[in-house]
Amino acid sequence: MPALLDARGLRKTYEGRVLLEGVDLRLERGTVTTVGGPSGGGKTTLLRILGLLAEPDGGQMLLDGTDVRTLVPHHFRRRISLVPQAPAMFPGTVLDNVRSGPRLANRDLDESTARELIVRAGLEPQFLGQDARALSGGEKLRVAVARALALRPEAWLLDEPTAALDDERATVLVRLLQELAAEGSPVLVVTHDARVLEQLTARRLELVDGQLVENAPGRKTS
Amino acid sequence: MSYVSVSLPQLLLSLGLMAMALAVSAQDRLGLEKDLLLGTVRAAVQLFAVGLLLTLVFRNQHPASVFGVIVVMVAVAGWTAARRIAHGPGTAVLFRYATLAVLVGGVVVLVPVFAFVIRPPLWYEARLLIPISGMILSNAMNGVALVFERVFASIHDDAPAVEQLLSLGATPKQAVERHVRAAMNAALRPTINGLLTVGLVALPGMMTGQIVSGTAPDQAVRYQLVIMYQLVAVAAVAGALAARFARRLSFSDREQLRTFADRRVG
Repeated sequence: MPALLDARGLRKTYEGRVLLEGVDLRLERGTVTTVGGPSGGGKTTLLRILGLLAEPDGGQMLLDGTDVRTLVPHHFRRRISLVPQAPAMFPGTVLDNVRSGPRLANRDLDESTARELIVRAGLEPQFLGQDARALSGGEKLRVAVARALALRPEAWLLDEPTAALDDERATVLVRLLQELAAEGSPVLVVTHDARVLEQLTARRLELVDGQLVENAPGRKTS
Repeated sequence: MSYVSVSLPQLLLSLGLMAMALAVSAQDRLGLEKDLLLGTVRAAVQLFAVGLLLTLVFRNQHPASVFGVIVVMVAVAGWTAARRIAHGPGTAVLFRYATLAVLVGGVVVLVPVFAFVIRPPLWYEARLLIPISGMILSNAMNGVALVFERVFASIHDDAPAVEQLLSLGATPKQAVERHVRAAMNAALRPTINGLLTVGLVALPGMMTGQIVSGTAPDQAVRYQLVIMYQLVAVAAVAGALAARFARRLSFSDREQLRTFADRRVG
């Protein structure tokens, strides 16, 4: 079976700096992969390329064996969720935000489903009516996860998802990521967080000098 | 009623008004004296030059000269609307789109009005075509400039949210719908406010001009109404076109938000 998302030879240079130099990455169904490495080393750029928000200078990406360049970009993005480190909230309540993804595809999401989704993302149900843009960074992150859950994506890309979370919330999120993988979605997490690395059963990679390298088990990536 | 003309010596007397402004600037140390002097001279030179040009065009009325003047107006309007747009793709690129928006808006609004409403005896009547086109094109220019300015600036400021919408599967149109709508609103607002307050706050320039030059007020009013409806229509048409151009320019063919300024990398 082909990997759900298969990146081959990704290259990216930004302002004269080589960020990615022939990166190969296979995201298999049901697996969790973490990517560490020095900050400013291109990890976010890699996620943006995989989420189709940025274009690589070279290389190829396959979704389920199909060249991504032959797919309509917004159809691709509906299938692959990218959760950035500091997600932007849309105007309105948490409920409006959770409904935004389905709404873009002309589907409605009922309130009880939205409530289940925010609880699954680690938020209390009473958040549903709150102004999303007035939330803390950690709360916004969890709304963004619920927002993505509403689309039932086939793969997850997350950028430092636990940076604004305390230990308890971080554990809840790690558990959710493990569940999502168990349900069959590949999960890719860019992280330096020792709490995540300890708790997640994952393939560990590091992005160093534009190359993804396998990290020896037990070695800290931070 | 007869036309009351202004002789050159009488015009020179009006320079006393600029002297008043200069005196205020000097007295209150506003530091505007240099700009005031330059403005006084430039306004006179520009208007006399235009007056001379119009005299020539009116005297030798020919479709080529009349439309030559209008083509220059369209180009200058396009250039002005494309200038100083922060976070956009640059004046050289925007110029083409701004000119096209101004041109299409102008044609759509001017041709039917001249053909069916004003119906001048001579279809290229310079005395009507040039000043009315000038008013319409300048409103198109302001609308396009406002739309460009607002669309590019708001998308730039809100780039993270726009990209989040893209990540959730939004089409480029969906991702910037809010920004485009707000820009269109801003572009139409001044002209709509003009409609609502006309005659209550000030008499519009053209109507004033016609009345001063001896036209009966009821005729001046009819002309003014036609012009005001044209101003609204041209702001809407040119603004809507500019909004579509700005949206298209903001995304790559892979539906990715284009960056016209530095964006975070890491």
